[in-house]
Amino acid sequence: MIGTALSRWTMSYFTAALIFLVGAQMVMVAGYGFPAVAAEAPETLILVHMMTIGWLSLLMCGALFQFVPVLIAQPLRGERLVLPALICLLTGLAALLAGFLQLAGVFDAAIPLLAVAGTLLPAGFVLICGVLGGTLWRVKLQRPARFVAVGLACVLVTATLGALLALLISGFLPALAEIDFRMQALPVHIAVGLGGWLSFTAIGVSYRLLPMFMLSPDRERATSRLSWWSGVAALVLMALASPIAALLETVGLAGAATAATGLAVVLALAALVLYGFDLAFFYRHRKRRIIELNSRAAQAAFLALALSGILLLALLATGTLERHVGALLYLVAFGWLTGLGLSQLYKIVPFLTWLECYGPVMGRQPTPRVQDLVMERRGWIWFAVYFLGVLAGTATLLVDQPGLFRAAAAATLLATLAIVVELVLARRLANVPDDKRLPEGASRPRLFLPTPH
Amino acid sequence: MTLPYYEVDVRPILREGGEPFSAIMEAVDALAPGQSLRLLATFKPIPLFQVLGNRGFEPAAREIGNGDWEVIFTPAGQQPDPGAAEPAPAVDGAITTGEIWPAPVVELDNRDLEPPEPMVRTLQAVEALSPGQTLAALLPREPIFLFEELQARGHLWRGAFEPDGHYRVVIRRG
Repeated sequence: MIGTALSRWTMSYFTAALIFLVGAQMVMVAGYGFPAVAAEAPETLILVHMMTIGWLSLLMCGALFQFVPVLIAQPLRGERLVLPALICLLTGLAALLAGFLQLAGVFDAAIPLLAVAGTLLPAGFVLICGVLGGTLWRVKLQRPARFVAVGLACVLVTATLGALLALLISGFLPALAEIDFRMQALPVHIAVGLGGWLSFTAIGVSYRLLPMFMLSPDRERATSRLSWWSGVAALVLMALASPIAALLETVGLAGAATAATGLAVVLALAALVLYGFDLAFFYRHRKRRIIELNSRAAQAAFLALALSGILLLALLATGTLERHVGALLYLVAFGWLTGLGLSQLYKIVPFLTWLECYGPVMGRQPTPRVQDLVMERRGWIWFAVYFLGVLAGTATLLVDQPGLFRAAAAATLLATLAIVVELVLARRLANVPDDKRLPEGASRPRLFLPTPH
Repeated sequence: MTLPYYEVDVRPILREGGEPFSAIMEAVDALAPGQSLRLLATFKPIPLFQVLGNRGFEPAAREIGNGDWEVIFTPAGQQPDPGAAEPAPAVDGAITTGEIWPAPVVELDNRDLEPPEPMVRTLQAVEALSPGQTLAALLPREPIFLFEELQARGHLWRGAFEPDGHYRVVIRRG
């Protein structure tokens, strides 16, 4: 019986994450939040945090609990904290979303919901970092694990700033009310959250997952090292941009502050370009000639990442970043992060299901192949619809067409639902021929709860 | 002119329940060209005959009393095949016995297979062994899922990274 090598709660994290992804897209199709209202309106904040915490962070945590032990060939330490972390994050997120609803005037409650969220969410992320950081601690880390380690530091920064913002909005911390946190802390919260925690970690995971499934050489390359360093420098500059600006202003160098942010952007783009070289290397030097759908769909996500970089440059060059930042963030969140997430789930879920079900009988009984658990012929249609929907959505945001945007969001929602159905079918072994499905000694995995010991 | 024997006495290691394999392989690596190895052990180390045979040594064994054996490994003159060289295995923590395992009856090269095929084929081959027999498998990476499955099934293993980054595991059917 495969026990500790399979992370017990990963499927539960994935399930919660997918529910939030579907929910967030339903909200978008309904026309709630951005672009119908301003980007900083509470309605938009609901949408944004359903995506970033509910979907992307839970997905990332679930994947890391499974993936970090594989990355460093060490068992997960403190696994008993994994479920409490999920509970903290879910209750914290519920409080956060309710707090934003309160802010939007939807209802009135005597409880300081945002302050509750500002406590529970950081607690959840501290637990996550405790488990993953404790597992990585004192192990000689290879490059992919180093990306993850930086990502963990970034989620702590993001959660801390988020908690500060939540407490400030709730009227706590009056002493800090004089600092303009919206200008100072919010950009860092966004950049370190999306760029550091979600993107940097995803990059680290992809450095190992892609070569693993495409059989590409995965020895560390100079470009990976450089990409890591320049990414770390960009994140540090970004995180310290405000303190640097304050310091420079006191010595009369106000203009140098924008230079720090500018340098951070250049370094971040350099990190992306180097990462692009490595990706091209993995695809070109793969030993497996047939690219499976997960790696094919991941290519679309990488394309979206490249497009995000180009869009950022274009918006900076034309001085329209502030006006179109919503479109940029939409492309990053849905094209790159969600695209990569869904594409990798399409491999990870069948793979883990296969291990859970057939691991105990492997070598004793004939077992189906992992690919027998999915129907790529159907799957690729959903991914195509999804990515086309994201492209259309980005375009409609850039040309200010909220009505068309909802139509594009409906397309991505339908594609997402279809992919979720495919994942459930994989989990249920529905695509496996009847005679091969359950050889003697194999047991059908539960949909999203761990099998009891 | 013949060089004097290079002498290795692994009897103390064996009596303490230790693992003499790496000491022997170190000695083999330290041999001068054309030099022979004189090995003293508490049993007739038949598995070594094949391992060192792969490296071009011919054994001559005789009992020297008290159940101890002396084996002279003489280079056969031909160039040893570096591909057949047995690496000094890093003994896994789960293994406490110091006995020498029989030479692998199967050598699998599972490097160029996509996951989980390396694991499937390795376990298939393990299940085909008789108890006590061993097999060797080259894998693309350290196989933590495989280790867990081996442990659950009561098999023993020893593994180490190859210089080229692949992982070589020797599994003994329990």
